Amino acid sequence: MPFLRRYAGLVIRMQILALLLAFLPAPGVNAAMLGTRSVLEQGAGPSEERARVDSFLARQDVGAALRAQGVDPLEARIRADSLTETEVRRLAERIDRIPAGGNAVGAIVGALVFVFIVLLITDLLGLTNIFPFVNR
Amino acid sequence: MFPTYRRRLVFALSCCGWVSSCATPPSPRVDSVAHTDAGATEVTGVPFHPQETWQCGPAALAMVLGWSGESVPPQALVGEVYSPARKGSLQASMVAAARRHDRVAFTLSGPADLTRELEAGNPVIVLQNLGLSWVPVWHYAVAIGYDGAANTVTLHTGTSEAKRLSATVFDNTWARSGYWGLLVLPPGRVPATAGETAYLRAVEGLEQAGRQETAATAYQGALTRWPGSLGALVGMANTRYASGDLPGAESALRAATRHHPGSGIAYNNLAQVLSDQGRHAEALAVARRAVESGGSYSQDFNDTLKEIVRRRGSSNESTHARPSHWQDQDHSQHPAGQP
Repeated sequence: MPFLRRYAGLVIRMQILALLLAFLPAPGVNAAMLGTRSVLEQGAGPSEERARVDSFLARQDVGAALRAQGVDPLEARIRADSLTETEVRRLAERIDRIPAGGNAVGAIVGALVFVFIVLLITDLLGLTNIFPFVNR
Repeated sequence: MFPTYRRRLVFALSCCGWVSSCATPPSPRVDSVAHTDAGATEVTGVPFHPQETWQCGPAALAMVLGWSGESVPPQALVGEVYSPARKGSLQASMVAAARRHDRVAFTLSGPADLTRELEAGNPVIVLQNLGLSWVPVWHYAVAIGYDGAANTVTLHTGTSEAKRLSATVFDNTWARSGYWGLLVLPPGRVPATAGETAYLRAVEGLEQAGRQETAATAYQGALTRWPGSLGALVGMANTRYASGDLPGAESALRAATRHHPGSGIAYNNLAQVLSDQGRHAEALAVARRAVESGGSYSQDFNDTLKEIVRRRGSSNESTHARPSHWQDQDHSQHPAGQP
């Protein structure tokens, strides 16, 4: 038992690594086939293997962020998997800050009268387009 | 009466400096429609779906999908694009959903592309910030036309069908999203403004989403626009390879090596496809050409060559050709003595 305990940490770490490697998506049937990305990113991109590891991690991040936004886990995974490596890497860096298109007036309910007046003025100036009754 | 009212407002604004500075749109400004040459067009056949509270994303997507020939009610798309906690839809979710419906999702590269795409008959999903940078009100609308002389943009937006909006107001609201515009096109219909690499990246997204057949159709479209395109030929081969069509993949890669004799990637993939068909001797010669060409993937080329040498050694040049990766399940591969 002390033997087991001594090596438990190492064993767990190796198992995690093995799991991680097992789930790395390989393009096509065989890894020796270079993906279309390699032609499109030629010269600029990282090596095929490095890119695969990076985008695997980025995909996990994007999936986790979508789950945090209330998206069903399976659905979150499908969405993350439908993006290219370049797209997920770029998205993973800033997913909490990017806009989510919702809809107009409701978003500012509860805002201050001040905001209402400013937006009314900017609407009249044609800088914004919040209020339907401001006709331009 | 209105102009007087406005003049008074401008005066009022200039009195409180920081408000007016907050309201300044980001510079440099590029106008998309306002002040362009007089021209006008309207894309027909874009169905209108009223956008209910929060759910402009699904409705906008349903409109362009309907135009492209896929009739989907907005409600059916909510689960595919909506982020409940954000009360909105991320751009990435819109892109992913378009791919899941076998459509090429192509983002515009700049504001000037809007009128060109509309003239080519393609409606554009646009992301607007109807509010200000510090009171953002994000909104997806579908641009279906413009009128240069009248200085208007025609949008399916909110509950208004084909609403004509001042192009200046539209530009102000669109600029705040960095002019994000999305085309959702049936495969084979190449955008009017697309560059070769940008379009192929969009098609690669279909491959990533597992839509191999759709991607193949889109690569075929790319080859019509850019004959002999290396990316389109390699992509075409990859889609065929993924669906098990090895002779099809081989012919696309042969065309790639013919048009681009310096491309190691084309040779590397061709070697792999030949070897998978059991033609190890041919594969070996082709793999060597890949290694000779060098470049940033030379490590991968070397690995392919080593793998082919290994496969050739273990296959002993059997008389009938057989994809050698099948041999991994072959009993002869097990060490002697195992059942």
